[in-house]
Amino acid sequence: MKRTLLWRYRVVITCGALMIVSLHMLSTRLGPNAVESWSTAILFEALRPFQSSVTRLGEGGIGLVHDYLDLVNVHRENQKLRLELARVKTEKTHLAELEAENHRLAELLELRQALNLSAVAANVIGADATGVSRTLILGQGTDTGIKPGMAVVSVQGVVGKIIAASAHASRVLLIDDHNSALDAFDQRSRARGIVAGVVDDGLIMKYVGRTDDVKAGDSVITSGLDGTFPRGLLIGSVKGVGRDAPGLFLNVSIKPAVDFRRLEQVLVITQTLPQPPSGKKAKS
Amino acid sequence: MRLLLLFGIALLICLAIQTTAPLWLPVRALVPNLVVILAVDLGLRHHGVLPAAMAFGMGYAVDVFSGTHVGLNALFLTMVYLLTYEVSSRLMMTNAMVGAVAVFLGAMVTGASPAGVGLATGASGELQALIPALLVQAAVSAALAPLVFSILARLKRAIGLRAKAERE
Repeated sequence: MKRTLLWRYRVVITCGALMIVSLHMLSTRLGPNAVESWSTAILFEALRPFQSSVTRLGEGGIGLVHDYLDLVNVHRENQKLRLELARVKTEKTHLAELEAENHRLAELLELRQALNLSAVAANVIGADATGVSRTLILGQGTDTGIKPGMAVVSVQGVVGKIIAASAHASRVLLIDDHNSALDAFDQRSRARGIVAGVVDDGLIMKYVGRTDDVKAGDSVITSGLDGTFPRGLLIGSVKGVGRDAPGLFLNVSIKPAVDFRRLEQVLVITQTLPQPPSGKKAKS
Repeated sequence: MRLLLLFGIALLICLAIQTTAPLWLPVRALVPNLVVILAVDLGLRHHGVLPAAMAFGMGYAVDVFSGTHVGLNALFLTMVYLLTYEVSSRLMMTNAMVGAVAVFLGAMVTGASPAGVGLATGASGELQALIPALLVQAAVSAALAPLVFSILARLKRAIGLRAKAERE
């Protein structure tokens, strides 16, 4: 009887056990910590070639599609000539893409020199699998010295932090994810706060005192006190300051300096930064 | 074993699409949640311990490529599998429409879960503001579900698996 019942409800019992395992995983590994394990590494490595190829194809594909559409319905006599033109156009598009990539890499190199820290450039090859969380997948991993916890920046400003890495791929938690937080201050007034992502989009600066002088348009930069990001990197600018709501703190919304959707190359700071005094360590 | 292999390959393809499509599509919400479709297909047509474990494994794989809460998608995809299995066990017949409805609900729940957990653990923002994007993503996923079910059915037949529900 017992055996029959067990057999009859085996799916429900299995699902229940698996849900308990999931809850255990959630409770023990909650938060923006490294999700690094052998299974993570295997999945990263399995998907990386496909993601890299699709990213490359996409870069050249748009130009090719336009060229193809241009060629539809052309006269036969002109077909050869037009094909030649299309080839030249494709080459031109490819060259323009190479030039743009070269420009971006040169900018990253300048940034690396300006930061005076050891860093590696990495290509963005993927985005978050569900869309509600904000993460990116990079095409470089531990082989190039990337490790969880390292800061990721671009020419425009702060991008995020590495949360998982395999040999040839890694994942970045963007600063606008709701699990992300970094210590920052207003460049003009030096008012300090914690810049955090918001569930429904955007960035806010938390814990800014009501008496602090923060105005729309002010630049917000990293304080360097969280031990992850170097001091003085641009996070964004103040979009609005809400003083109407009750409470001890101001409601400061931030416009990120980086357009996360347009990121193609980033710089991962591989050098360990000096740790701040433990009493002042901020959540990151 | 064949089922495991088929869904393993399908999972890799779905994850590759889900992680690369947002780089090219203008609106993130237009990227369907294909893994939910796979979990619903399992729940509708494959009843047993292995398919349940596969749903959990698919959720874990999504966790590797999404968010920071490891186990969250594993939990919700197992739940989607269990609910679809229960519905499928009680209905006289299951068709693509039932599957599409299950995908819509599953995509809504799994989509909202990271934000829900985030809010519960102190993140800022409002869940309501996410609902339009979640509705669009769930609708796109539901619209694609019959096509994915049909592709899976053809592949199952091609490798000698039963494409229809294996009822107990």
